Amino acid sequence: MIEDDTARRVIQAALSRGGDYADIFAEHREGYNLRLEEAKIEENTTGSEIGAGIRVIMGESVAYAYTNDLSEDSLLETARVAASAVRGGEKAPINLEQKWNMLPVLGEHPIEINLEDFAREDKIALLQKADEAARSAGNEVVQVIAALGDSRQQIFLANSLDEIVLDNRVRVRMVVQVVAAREGEVQIGYEAPGALGGYEMFKRFPPEKLGHDAAAMAITMLDARPAPSGPMAVVIGNGTGGVLFHEACGHSLEADAIHKHASVFEGKIGRKVANSIVSAYDDATLENRWGSFNYDDEGVRAQRTPLIEEGMLHNFINDLKRSKRDQVAPSGNGRRQSYRHVAIPRMTNTFIAAGEAKPHEIIADTPLGIYAKKLGGGEVNPVTGDFIFSIVEGYMIRQGKMAEPVKGATLVGNGPRVLQDIDAIADDIDFDTGMCGKDGQSVPVCTGQPTLRVRELVVGGTAEVV
Amino acid sequence: MAAEYNLQDLARNWVERGRSMAGAGTQLEIFIQEHRGLTVTAYNEEIEGLRYSHNRGVGIRAISEGRLGYAYCTSLDWSDVSRAIEEASANARYSTPDEHNILPGYSDYAQAGLDIYDAEARDMPVDRKVEMALQLEGLTCAADSRIAQVESAVYADTISTVGIANSAGVSGSYRSSDCYCYVSPIAKQGDESQSGFSFDQGIKPSNLDLSKVAKDAADRAVCLLGAASTPSARSTLILDTFVAAEFIAILASALSAEAVLKGRSFLAGKVGEKIANEMVTLIDDGLLKGGPSTAPFDDEGVPSQRKELISSGILKGYMHDSYTAARSGTSSTGNAQRGSFRDRPHVGPSNMYLKPGSGGREDILRRVGDGVLILQVVGAHAGANPVNGEISLGALGLKIEGGRPVQPLREITLAGTALEFLRDVVAIGDDLNFMPFAGSLGAPTVAVENVMIAGRG
Repeated sequence: MIEDDTARRVIQAALSRGGDYADIFAEHREGYNLRLEEAKIEENTTGSEIGAGIRVIMGESVAYAYTNDLSEDSLLETARVAASAVRGGEKAPINLEQKWNMLPVLGEHPIEINLEDFAREDKIALLQKADEAARSAGNEVVQVIAALGDSRQQIFLANSLDEIVLDNRVRVRMVVQVVAAREGEVQIGYEAPGALGGYEMFKRFPPEKLGHDAAAMAITMLDARPAPSGPMAVVIGNGTGGVLFHEACGHSLEADAIHKHASVFEGKIGRKVANSIVSAYDDATLENRWGSFNYDDEGVRAQRTPLIEEGMLHNFINDLKRSKRDQVAPSGNGRRQSYRHVAIPRMTNTFIAAGEAKPHEIIADTPLGIYAKKLGGGEVNPVTGDFIFSIVEGYMIRQGKMAEPVKGATLVGNGPRVLQDIDAIADDIDFDTGMCGKDGQSVPVCTGQPTLRVRELVVGGTAEVV
Repeated sequence: MAAEYNLQDLARNWVERGRSMAGAGTQLEIFIQEHRGLTVTAYNEEIEGLRYSHNRGVGIRAISEGRLGYAYCTSLDWSDVSRAIEEASANARYSTPDEHNILPGYSDYAQAGLDIYDAEARDMPVDRKVEMALQLEGLTCAADSRIAQVESAVYADTISTVGIANSAGVSGSYRSSDCYCYVSPIAKQGDESQSGFSFDQGIKPSNLDLSKVAKDAADRAVCLLGAASTPSARSTLILDTFVAAEFIAILASALSAEAVLKGRSFLAGKVGEKIANEMVTLIDDGLLKGGPSTAPFDDEGVPSQRKELISSGILKGYMHDSYTAARSGTSSTGNAQRGSFRDRPHVGPSNMYLKPGSGGREDILRRVGDGVLILQVVGAHAGANPVNGEISLGALGLKIEGGRPVQPLREITLAGTALEFLRDVVAIGDDLNFMPFAGSLGAPTVAVENVMIAGRG
């Protein structure tokens, strides 16, 4: 995308007024998006983007400039605009003869079926199969929306530390949303698998099963009774339940939140923040996971970062700028939505590690509580960790047995408090995919966890107090 | 930098070449956009951030027997564009037919007198723009001794060039510049802090009145110091121009024919009905001189126009693009909008505003006598529902007695429906102001009677 010599001259222009660090991030992204609604293909779009962003860091000041025009003249002008944010600095010496340190090109995430080897009609057929399966799951199904997206992103990064990094990321994701209705009652079900990989993903997630499962969830919830309210034990299902840790704890572990004094975890490294059965990781190396990569968007190698081990807080999630300020090693979490955005600390695949219990044992050991199989949207106050989440698929647990489905339930609690109150963890870890939004940027992430129990959470329902 | 190229000629040329590739049965549209933007943020007398963007790209719509395909690319080389045309045509072959997918035909465009571009926005050196952000911060801090901090002081501008052509005869281009600045100071007194906000906008940097913005923002923060809640009661609300413009956003969503056709508008089926006090006239004017969203044509090449959507309280019609117009058996109102070349057009407002009445804010306060002046609302996105028109928002403001502010208010909520608000308008001022962010929405000060205000105490 960019010649090595050009990169050197661009970095030189970026640091022409001084600065601590400069880099250039270029990408070529090709994507395809399909959406089926009311059994009709509503959206059918191919996109191809090339662009480069140049960053200059001076103390706390960050200048960022980007362009779609990768000619050397354009890149040099873009670099000079970025440099104009630096005031009172001195021109940094750049040796134009210095050799680049080319980091090895990695391919840790194998692809079986490449995007271009899977025909358009086959992609459309995936959506139609999901649609048909959902519609045949029951007469209650009134609406099915199925969307498919694939993308290939090639990145090039060169920085003032003389490194050049290349990475290639191929991703596929499908979202199926089903609305079911009966006698004025309306419920929604969904499935949304994704992978850093190719179309082989649908061997693990056949579209018929996705459509059927999403419909089954919506139909089941039509029978739900209003949830009770009050404090009670809550068993959170594997996979999607991980969104609670992601939102209520994960964001507070990001170093930019720490530096803004907007996190309950500030100053807690090395201290006990969770029950000792709790360990949690952020791991961008997990093979073919939706939130994985070989290198992050600042050229740092993907890694497994222990956040909490046996209840003790070990690390924050950082990027280059924040790791330098904290004088710790970069954790490989500098991510960006595209060349149009500045890298900031972001989660990748974040999860609570598996325990030893069996899921059915945890249910059997719970006399009365709620089983939150799927969590929906939530809101978190990052400063205090207070959260509210909706349960989109939930069941009562009575006398250690799964009982009737419940609707309209919310979970109200506090992230750090929940970490202390997790009192059982099963061995059935699973992951769910999502797009995580922060500071106007959206990046692919996985949330994960095994089935686990929180001793007590406040359930906000519409029925009587238990 | 790349030489100045004529986007209109480029678009027309690509349509011709693309048509010979895709076949005469395929309708083609080429939309080219080039966009340069600068944003400078000052904080603590330093430049906290500088963002510069040079965005360009081509969006291609291909329609074949009612089947629509879309593709885009950021390259302006024919080899890449021709590949994107092939992709769009291939995508069209696999889409579901819909006879209402059509492209508009040839039109003449008004170019003179729109007042949408000034070369000063392009020619002023970046260093001068950086100084403007720093100056805005300094002026705001100096405006009042109770201003403890400035959260952010921003100078920003964008220069856009658009070129469009289609196989039905559309061909046009224009260039526009848009400059703005805003500041959000924090006023402190004891343990209490209150934030304020103000902005200015124009087609060139020298349009921006930094001193006025600094003073207005500081006043807005300082006047809230000492705020307390108030017992719940029905009251007359006087909506500040910024707040009134946020309410216009709810109407803008509901007046989209796309929302109406999808059953997502509380204004569906109400054309010809009286839905508002007769003082209320709501205008969408894509030709408004110097307006932030003014352009000779919309994002699919239909000439911009001025129309009254609500006229003396009567709902006259909805905003349309070519698709919704075809489905509804009417003509496009020139309201096709796209986020960028990456998106195909959807219905959206151009410059939408409430027609000014008479008198400034002071005058309206005197006329109302007792009430609550609302200066800020919280949760406008979550708390205002354009589907059913329900509104429930947190607010900050000033209690008004005898036409004068007597007590700052916080922890209050206001609730009602958009239709109740429209019906109960009792005064509209002459101080029309446009809001910078969610498009270009404007309103003067508006008074609404009999609104439920909930509070504590």
